[in-house]
Amino acid sequence: MFKVSLKNILRPGFAGGTFKSGYRFQKYWDTPMATAFFCGETGAGLFIVSMLMDFLPGIILGLLITGVGKTFFHLTHMGVPSKAWRALLRPDRSWISRGLWGIIFFVGFGSIHVLGVLFNVVPAGLEPVVYILAIAGAMVVVTYQGFAMSHSTAISFWSTGLMPISSMLYGLLMGSSLVLVLSALGFSISNPEHFSMLGLAQITLIVAVQICLLSLLHGAKNGSKGAQQSYILLVKDFLARPFLLGVVGVGSIIPLLILLFIPTNFMTNLIVTGCVMLGFYLFRLLVFKAGVLDPILSPADIFKR
Amino acid sequence: MTRYGMVFDVKRCIGCNACTVACKQENSLPDGVFFTRTLSAESGEYPYVSRSYLPTICNHCEDAPCEKVCPSGATWTRDDGIVMVDGDKCIGCGSCAVACPYDMRTQIEETQITNGLFGDGKLTPFEEQGYSRFECGSFTKCDFCSERVDGGLDPACVATCPTDARVFGDLDDPDSKVSKLIRDRMGRQPLPEKNTRPKVYYID
Repeated sequence: MFKVSLKNILRPGFAGGTFKSGYRFQKYWDTPMATAFFCGETGAGLFIVSMLMDFLPGIILGLLITGVGKTFFHLTHMGVPSKAWRALLRPDRSWISRGLWGIIFFVGFGSIHVLGVLFNVVPAGLEPVVYILAIAGAMVVVTYQGFAMSHSTAISFWSTGLMPISSMLYGLLMGSSLVLVLSALGFSISNPEHFSMLGLAQITLIVAVQICLLSLLHGAKNGSKGAQQSYILLVKDFLARPFLLGVVGVGSIIPLLILLFIPTNFMTNLIVTGCVMLGFYLFRLLVFKAGVLDPILSPADIFKR
Repeated sequence: MTRYGMVFDVKRCIGCNACTVACKQENSLPDGVFFTRTLSAESGEYPYVSRSYLPTICNHCEDAPCEKVCPSGATWTRDDGIVMVDGDKCIGCGSCAVACPYDMRTQIEETQITNGLFGDGKLTPFEEQGYSRFECGSFTKCDFCSERVDGGLDPACVATCPTDARVFGDLDDPDSKVSKLIRDRMGRQPLPEKNTRPKVYYID
């Protein structure tokens, strides 16, 4: 249903891979990259929330989701995975490179923190340093993907400061939701007051995500012609059903209604987390699918004089 | 200092795609890979319709976004302004492809260089010799036929164009043909709003 088929590429105004002049879809960042972004933001968000709550199961799961899941899907996407280490070489100019350094800091110092908690192997004086470096790495991981997308002026829909903000909001929302589910599964949170705080954070983050989505669509609708095409694809065309039903409806409105009007228990937490997760994954996927490049030269400019 | 660029005279282009074929031949490009394309566009309504042609190529931007985002240093710019890709250094992350507003980056897929043009897995001697320059999974693009340029020749697409619709030369030399065409006929760059400062100009 979501695949960009030949029929969809050869729509009026779109050139696809043909020798026609017109809009073109970006086609190189697709499902594996979207899944890698999803894992990175979910894992880092869960890690940050768990660190703040001192919740060890969340810290370990966050490290695994990012360290294993994100790495696996990045390598799946990469054309030459055997040379992946070369992505470390240009942190001075590339967000991909900065992100990889962030992942190394996050997973490296996060793992040292876990070992310190479990086996007391970190000297007392170094604990705050390890803690801060791990959180800093996680902050980079939860935002750099948005920066990598907003840095691209080629795709007008992505070229907005809202991209890193949406990454961060979704990451923290996923983190709060997963901590609540894990705690309901029997992994206890040390301070019970954190439960009510996390519930409130969930509602606030869902509202913030909704505002961010609306702002993204508003900016695209009133942006360049390429961004307007992305808006049309997401709201009126073949991506509208998964976007409006999946990302906005299931991923945002239903969890908000459940949290506001139904008393929370394990089942509601599970449903809310499932809905948020589905909405976030679809958001990541559809933002890639809706990436449209402007025509190289507008035929109207050059041919109609 | 030399700063190479190209001018496309849209009025002269007849859409024969001889440039496309010459480029594929010169660079031994596999099936489905193009460094240059001549796009077509129809305008008007029956019975007053016309078809126009728009040659496209890597713009070798002054402020190349593909170079800025490349995490491995595979994309670099020569002193004469030609933006190059080192296939040995490319990791195939695709960030250059999503950063290029002109859709001029192409990934070399394994099947493209193992199946051969006839799709039977047997490479012709021409393919065997040519495909050895490509790394599977890496991204590639036009380099203005840098080996020909270094030897004092025009890029293959320019040399083969039967209508002189493509002109190649030094943008920093005010007496070069490209500089004169840009100056006299108000050369325009593609998508100037992207702030990439292309070294390819269109005149009509």
